[in-house]
Formats: sequence, C-alpha cells, structure tokens
Amino acid sequence: MEHRPLEGIRVLDFTWAWAGPFATLQLAHLGAEVIRIETTTRQICVTRSIPPFADNQPGANRAGYFNQYNQGKRSITLNLRNQRAVEMVYELVKHCDIVTENFGAGVSERLGIGYSKLREFKPDIIMLSISGFGQTGPARRFVGYGPVVAAFAGFFSTTGYIGGDEREIGLSYPDPNAGAHGAFAVLAALTHREATGEGQYIDVSMVESAVSMMGEGLLEYQLTGRDPVRNSNRDRVMAPHGCYKAAGDADKWVAIAVSSDAEWRSLCVAMERPDLARDERFVTAEDRKNNEDALDKLVTDWTCRRDRWEIAEMLQNVGVAAFPAMSNKDLVNDAHLLQRGFLVMKTHPEVGERTHAGIPWKMVDSPSEVQSAAPLLGADTEFVLGSLLGYSREKIKQLREEGIAA
Amino acid sequence: MSINNQEKSFGRIKVVECGWGVSAAYAGKLLADIGANVIKVEPLGGDITRGWGPFPDDERDPEKSGLFVYLNTNKRGVVLDSKRPEGRKLLDRLLESADILIHNIPFPDREQYGLLTSDLRDAHPRLILTSISMFGDSGPRAHWRGSELIASNAGGWAFLSPGASPSPELPPLKTFGHQCDLQAGLQAATVALAAYWDRKRTGKGRCIDVSEQECIVSMLEMNLMHYSYAGRETSRLGRRAVGPWFIAECSDGKIFLVCIEEDQWERLVEFMGNPHWARDPLFKDRVARGENLDALKALMTDWFARWKVADLYIEAQKRKIPMAPVYTMGQLLESDQLRQRGYFVELDQPGLGRIKLPGRPSQYERTTWALKRPAPRLGEHTEEVLCGEMGVSASEFETLRNVGIV
Repeated sequence: MEHRPLEGIRVLDFTWAWAGPFATLQLAHLGAEVIRIETTTRQICVTRSIPPFADNQPGANRAGYFNQYNQGKRSITLNLRNQRAVEMVYELVKHCDIVTENFGAGVSERLGIGYSKLREFKPDIIMLSISGFGQTGPARRFVGYGPVVAAFAGFFSTTGYIGGDEREIGLSYPDPNAGAHGAFAVLAALTHREATGEGQYIDVSMVESAVSMMGEGLLEYQLTGRDPVRNSNRDRVMAPHGCYKAAGDADKWVAIAVSSDAEWRSLCVAMERPDLARDERFVTAEDRKNNEDALDKLVTDWTCRRDRWEIAEMLQNVGVAAFPAMSNKDLVNDAHLLQRGFLVMKTHPEVGERTHAGIPWKMVDSPSEVQSAAPLLGADTEFVLGSLLGYSREKIKQLREEGIAA
Repeated sequence: MSINNQEKSFGRIKVVECGWGVSAAYAGKLLADIGANVIKVEPLGGDITRGWGPFPDDERDPEKSGLFVYLNTNKRGVVLDSKRPEGRKLLDRLLESADILIHNIPFPDREQYGLLTSDLRDAHPRLILTSISMFGDSGPRAHWRGSELIASNAGGWAFLSPGASPSPELPPLKTFGHQCDLQAGLQAATVALAAYWDRKRTGKGRCIDVSEQECIVSMLEMNLMHYSYAGRETSRLGRRAVGPWFIAECSDGKIFLVCIEEDQWERLVEFMGNPHWARDPLFKDRVARGENLDALKALMTDWFARWKVADLYIEAQKRKIPMAPVYTMGQLLESDQLRQRGYFVELDQPGLGRIKLPGRPSQYERTTWALKRPAPRLGEHTEEVLCGEMGVSASEFETLRNVGIV
C-alpha cells in the first residue's frame, strides 16, 4: 500500500519536553501531519535548550534531544499570550482531528486552549493531555518529572544490585512510557470516533501509565506478602541470567540468558566445560538457581577472557540468547540497525546529517520511514497559516511585526 | 456514553494473540481492556508465564501465576498445537474471521509454528498481521535469540542504568520486570490499531514487523545524539549533569529529590531554613551542584533524617520542589492520589481470590476501560470458541482432543 495508516489525520501539537513529543512522534511515524505550536514568549522547548548540541555549539535548532523526538513534524511559532494568536488556534483546530498538550494540569485552560473551549470550534476533536499525576486528585499540581514518577511508581525500590540499596533506572522511563500509551489512546479514540462520531478527552497520568507496567511487582506483594527482592540482573526462574564482564580493559559486558536445561548444556559445550553439564549443582533450572553465585562465577571466568561479540556469536550459534551491553557509540555504528534502515540521517538545514533513531517497526509493502528531519523553530508558520487559514504573505508579515507569530 | 457505542467501536474487533511471554500478551491486553474480542492461543503445555509466577506462597501452579494473570485478563483462552497440520488448519479457520493477529513467535521459529508472514498474508489478505520479534524480520541478526534481559542490553538501556554510578565493577543493570517486552507490545498494539483504523478506508490488511531492540533504542533520551552530535560516549558511570539529584534517607524510608530549575533549588534552600553552606560556591548553580553532589548530600543528611517521607513529600511539593517517595509495592497500593483517582481495580481471580490490579494507563472520557473477565484457565474457552464460533462439530472436537491437537 502506498500510503501510511494515518495519512489525512492532522494533529495540533502543543507538547514540549519529552513525554508529549514522544506521543506525537508515534503519530507522525504512522503518517499523521503533526503541527507543533511553539512559543515566542515563554521559554522555548526545554529539549531545544539542553545538550547535546551539534558540534557542541548551542542553538535552538542544534539540539539533538529536540531533533530526535520531533522528526517528521512541522513547527509554527505563536505568541499565545496574545488573544489574536489564541483565536488563530481556534481557527486551526477546525482543520485538525487531534490536539495534544503536556503542560501542568490546568495550564491549557488558563491559556484559553482547554478541551471544553476547543470543542466549541471542533465538536468531535480528540484531545490528549499528559501530566505527571493526572488532571485530578490531590497531587494534580505536583511536579512530575520522569525520575520523580519512577520513584513514586515503585521502579527504584524494585531495581538494584543484590543486597544493595534502591537504585535509579538510567532513563526517565515514565516519559516515553506515558507518550506511547498516549499514542495508543489516541488511536483508540480515533476508532471510537469512526464508529460513533464522538470525539473525547484523554487524561494520561505519567504515574498511572508507569504503575500499569508494575503488575508483576504489585502481584508479588499481594500473593507472597513480600516486596520484590532487588536481584541485579537475575531472573525469578532462569539461570544463568546476567550481564557478565567480557575481555578488554574498557567497560565491556555481555548479557546471557539461559532459558532451558538444553540451552544450559549448549552453553557448557560452548565453554568447553562438558563436566559442568553433568555437575549435579547445575542440572535443572532449580538447581542452577540454588547455586547461582557459583554458577555466575564459572560463567564470568569464561566470559572475562573473551571478546563480547565473540561470546555473543558463539552462543547465538548454538541457540543461547546472548548480546553485548550496547553503548550509544555501539548503537550508532551498528551494522544490523543500519541494514534494517532503522537508523536515519535525514538532512537538517542546520546540523546536516546526524544519526537518529528511526521507526521501530516496518510494514511490508508500505512506506515506513521517517519523512523529514525535525523542523527549525517556526519553519512552517507561513506554510501552515497560508495553506490552512488562507492567510496571505502580507498578513503573515503583519502578524510577525505585531509579535503574534514568528 | 452508551454501551452500544462502545460495542460498535471495539466489541467487533476480533484479535488473535499467539506466542508466549510478555510482549504479545501486553499488546493483546491493551486491546482487550478497551473491549476488543481477544482470543489468546496457548500451546498445549500453557504459556511460559504460567510457570514464572509470582505464585501465592511461592508454590508453583500454572493457574496462579501473577504475571500471567496481570497480562491476560479480559481474554478468552484457547489451547491448540499449531505445529501440527491439523492444529495449523484450526488456526487458519480462527484467523478467517479475525481482524488483527498479534504474535511474538521468534523469526527463526515461524515456519515450524506455521506462522510465516508470507503464507499468512496470502491466506488472509484482510488481516492486520503484527509480529513482534527481538531484532526484527530482516538484517544480519534476524535469527538471533532474545529475552527481556537481552533486549535491555541490545537496546542500550542497561548500559545507562542505574546512572551516575561510582562502581565500574558493577554491571549494567536491568530495570525491574519486563519493561522492554511491555514496550514492544505497546508499540505493536498502537501500530495494529492504526492499521485497523485505516483498513476501513482500504479494505486491505497490512504486515507489521516490530523490533523490540529498536523500540528500546527509540527511547534512550538524548543518548544516541550525545554520540552523533557531539562524539560523547555515555554510560551508567559518572556524575549527574545537574543537582541535587539523589535518593535520600528520611527517618522512616527513602525519598527522591531532583532540582532541574534554579528556582526549585532556591525554594529548597529557603525550605531548609537558609543554611549558610547552601551559599557556598561549590553549589552555585545546578551544574556545580551535580559536580559536588557528594558534598551536598552529606550536608543535607541531617535535614532529611528529621522528616518522615509522607510529610516531606507533601511539604516539598506544596513548594514546587520535585520530590517523591521511593514507594514499595505495599505503599504504592495505598497511594492517596491513585485511590482518589480510582486507579487500582479489584478483580476476583479463581485460585487467587480478590486481587488489586493496575487500572487504566490512560483515562478516557468516552472509551470504556474495564476489567470484566479474569485471566483464562488453561484451555478454558477452547470448546466455546471452536465449537460455538468456528463450527467445529462435537465429534470433530473429540477427535482433536484425543490426538492432542487441542
């Protein structure tokens, strides 16, 4: 099929930071036209203003964070403090199917772009709001950065090294998780609109979408009366199951996950230790779990003298799951990801061709590529106001002079 | 909104889910929880998560696995062996009336299970065929094996976790649970729903290939760009870019604090009673506070120790200082915010009694999200679906059962 699934769907996108743009990135990947409304008065999007910048030179269009999560979108700049800009938003909404925002709870209403207001102009509009704690409840105005949400949702108390303290999880995971759930919810709302003609409001709480990923831990507590034990990289059932030191003086590691007794015997063959396959401490998964410290030491003795890729290839060849712990440099240069066409380098007017993560899925016989690099700040103001609202160049020039658009 | 409308939009979507483990099951759950008719096909011995637990009192029982229950509410369960020709034929009959197939049979095993994409596409041109695999269906590592641990390492997440670690001897760290599998399922459900929505316009199915590795590489914050924009390698070691940012100890538990903006730090200093050390040049801005975090933590220890977590969390957030409790599972279940928003859902699950499960990850105005049905017992709905809906006769069913196909 020649077209992408959401072609013809238009999104008016007020999101900023990470969670919101991650949601609309999914919609852009699926073919929706996403029009970012950026501001001329408030601070520009935080992701436009923090490193990494291309070649370490700061600039709103040079930030890798923004340029990653806003690929394939348009950007227009409006001064939303000005009532005429807000009225332009109302006109734009008439041409849109979806509105998205992730301001603090209640801010969109104050800006005059709350759901009830926008519905007056487009009765079947679908509006997605993402916030830290949700639009209601006693914590609705609390600051809900991703790591704060991860602490609240139980990720830190359940993650950590054996016998060690609570640990953080390396990423602001609740952001993309909320964004991805928001994108799913928008699709559910489009399906609902198709059947009923009704639009709707969607309230995504970063906390709630994160707790939805905690079912396993919540049930462990309820079924056993015990909180999950922090167990480093170990599994409840499988062993060996860990991230093992590989050869080399740098930070090189390889993950190995043995999911059956047959795989264990294959690992023993690969390690040239047939004696271990017969060792009564390690015959069944239960045996291996019971002697896991000794087991991990034996595996490390083998891995620490070998290259991580050599280990991964050797084990994959005998059907055992293994893979190096990939760094950002490893990923950017990875032959498999390049050959899949996952890594993309669209030409960007200011930073040129830089490697970005593309679309994590493909469709057979359908286009599934990122359409364009992230937009320059305000790159599409003229195009969008001209094509959707019929504004002339003179009128747009005047709006710019009056500080309403940029 | 009326139930009729809900049924119009989702009740008529028929989803078949095959494979095992977490990713396909979460995709199926997302669709089932908004009302789709999801049929889970399990192999004769039952899904692998039935053996993973957690179990009540740690006693293994395939009907009492917490992970299985969390992932499979609202679905009907059918057992059939699609590796055998008669079973494969039954699967084809099941797919004749299905809109969406979601499976996570590993790429190298598809032929054995009768789930080659090319065959399915030819036999079911209207089907939305969604496959999830660890490395995608193309590229030099398409046939490699994976698991949650492998995905978190191959996707680059583990290498960044826990972050700001001072201990190079400790390995990259997997986050609790099956987060990578869940993200792959979330992507698969979103793309499948988009393709389903579009099918109303075209009448044609699509073949979707979701790579779990790529789903994780797509959510690494700005880490890829640290390399592609600025040549910087990142890892779990080192320091935070800004501070304060750490887990602190109160008198009765842990709390997490992060100040991103200067004004948040200013309010924190005032809240602490303007201690003289806060004006030390060591802590002059957020970058300096990141660099000198150990010194800062030491100076704040006594202040934190005077507080109880629940009080400090509320008092800090009232002042717009980003803090949250490092909740355990038991504490999370008692969260006031989640209770007031009616988030957790109680369900009677045979064998487990009344349990609390995560509620809706997104709160819809009109689309109904509900847990209506407990997770299926092994093969609970085989006869109902085969005989009642697919026209398999009673004698045919008896034969299939006797030869071990169902």
